[in-house]
Amino acid sequence: MIWIYYLPVVLSGIGGLLCLVPRTRFEEDVSIIASFAALASSILIAFLPNATSFGLYVDGFSKLMQIMISAVYVLTVIFSIHYLEHIENKLFQANLYFLLLNLFVVSMFFTVMVDNVGLLWVGVEATTVTSALLIATDNNELAVEATWRYIIIVSTGLTISLLATIFIYGGFHTLSLDALLRAPQATKIVSVGALLGIIGYGTKGGIFPMHTWLPDAHGRAPAPISAMFSAILLPVALYTIVRFVQIVPMQSVRNFAVVLGSLSVIVASLMTFSQRQYKRMFAYSSIENMGVALIGIALGGNAFIGSVIIILTHAFAKSAAFFLTGNILAAYRTNTIKDVKAVSRTMPLTGYSLFFAGLAVTGAPPFGTFFGEILIMTRMLQVYGVWFTLVIASFLVVAFVGLNYRVIRMVFSEPVEPSGKMDDNATVPIISLVIAFSMVFLTPVVYFFLKGVVVR
Amino acid sequence: MTLNSIFVLVGFIQIALVTFMQWQTYISSVIKTFSIGSYVLAAFLLAAGYVGHEPYLIALGGLTAVIRAWFIPSFLSRMLRRDRWRAREIKPVLGIASTIILSLLFAVFGYVIYAWTMYDYVHSALGAIPVALFLQGAFLIISRRTPTTQLIGYLVMENALYLFGFLFPELPFVVEAGVVLDVIGTIMISGVIVRLKEEPAQNADVDDSTPREDFTELRG
Repeated sequence: MIWIYYLPVVLSGIGGLLCLVPRTRFEEDVSIIASFAALASSILIAFLPNATSFGLYVDGFSKLMQIMISAVYVLTVIFSIHYLEHIENKLFQANLYFLLLNLFVVSMFFTVMVDNVGLLWVGVEATTVTSALLIATDNNELAVEATWRYIIIVSTGLTISLLATIFIYGGFHTLSLDALLRAPQATKIVSVGALLGIIGYGTKGGIFPMHTWLPDAHGRAPAPISAMFSAILLPVALYTIVRFVQIVPMQSVRNFAVVLGSLSVIVASLMTFSQRQYKRMFAYSSIENMGVALIGIALGGNAFIGSVIIILTHAFAKSAAFFLTGNILAAYRTNTIKDVKAVSRTMPLTGYSLFFAGLAVTGAPPFGTFFGEILIMTRMLQVYGVWFTLVIASFLVVAFVGLNYRVIRMVFSEPVEPSGKMDDNATVPIISLVIAFSMVFLTPVVYFFLKGVVVR
Repeated sequence: MTLNSIFVLVGFIQIALVTFMQWQTYISSVIKTFSIGSYVLAAFLLAAGYVGHEPYLIALGGLTAVIRAWFIPSFLSRMLRRDRWRAREIKPVLGIASTIILSLLFAVFGYVIYAWTMYDYVHSALGAIPVALFLQGAFLIISRRTPTTQLIGYLVMENALYLFGFLFPELPFVVEAGVVLDVIGTIMISGVIVRLKEEPAQNADVDDSTPREDFTELRG
């Protein structure tokens, strides 16, 4: 039965390779089948016991990550088929786009199931290799420049996490995740490794101070790719940080993660307020959400549960938001917030969905992000006291106001005539939003899966 | 001569080569210098494996020679030959003299940082050399605008980690092999992106206040 655990990687990998078959629209059919098959196998795995043999480390958290990755994978593939028609000067043919997209998913599945901290690094670095060209799909000067920034900043950041891996090995003489999690008291060299790991993988997760690639990449990538980056790539990077915190649950490591998470929230909230482009604004919102999630991971206990709820809700809400920005870009032919008006009248489904997506990603009730933030704030209050909690909460309010004010201006302002092709295709984003909304009812399921994973 | 003395020698050769890269204007010289550095690293690993009877180090040395010293430099050189305008660093961020001085200061800074923060945990003074090299690689990325040189800076950082990994023997080979594969992937993808970057974009400074409407959005 152990082979079932490999299915998500194998199925999406086969789907990717079949994209090379030179038949018209074959890559679309193959990608849809592969993504649904990966989703089905991820759900099946969720009902199987945890696996810690044959190079696998699949616990409750891995299972949740696999389901999240495969669900966003399905939505992205379906949305991409339609969206690619809007891109006039594509860098490559559709089959190469779907090949890279499938391989990108393979690398993420690999990362969340592998039982080796070194191979974890290999998986995260492989996400860079497979996703970089996807950012440049639009094939213009800015997209290429953003791609270059992504490659060089993220690769440099990941060399720091490679150093962290060496330190972890130096301390424990093993890289097996299973063995590391059962290892005795962490030594000081390992704590240095964990600190470096948080910085290195934080680069990929959009955590301050190495977050600078993220607004450029999200801003210039096509909408479905921005959705994948924000919804699942950043959480996969946080997954590695969770493992580091589990391996080295020292207070100094947790405090360091809280500091970086808090700075991410502060910087992203302020930047959200000053953005003129809607995709970059949503990108900063991703940094803010990942910052809050990192704080919860570091605090542990119920705050960790809160982080996972945020990560799951954010994945679907933010992918919906980015899908919708694709519709807006196609219709209005501009990235600028002030030039997009009255979306609720020109494209009602897109407009109203964007409004709700904005609320969901900024932690408005009744979305899961709200309850996740409440869990984190409650724990923060216990550990760091009132003033620190108030500071972080006030910056969350700043991000909430900053993002929703702009979204409301775009959705409900006076109408202007869009210059591009009107396409109110919001089925996929609406499905994504409904899943995001239903996350709040799935909280008991999250508790069930995270039993035994939570860092105390 | 002990293995530790050879390690120090190899480390200092690497630092000297990176400093040499800093004053090179021609990209091909930077690539060749990197290739030489990687051959030195490969020779060291092969020698260490031969002396210590460790097939793992011999395999790693072979892999380093083939991938880092031969394949990657050849790939980058071929790219340069295709686009002759890429042959020179046209507009470095700093002047050559200040770059060299800063690069050497980074090496010293690396030693100080290591002595203050990591020495007590790693229990080996040798670790200061890769840390210094790591910082020099990072500085090469920051101080140059040409994508190819920035790539070389990234590879120098990777080489520094290889040296560092040597201090922790028997780091699983599968991980090292995975790292090498990822580096190949990164270089290949970067090769495509570097080719896509047109000359004006390559030399454009996105932090420059020059009114370039299309680039203003890439700011912070």
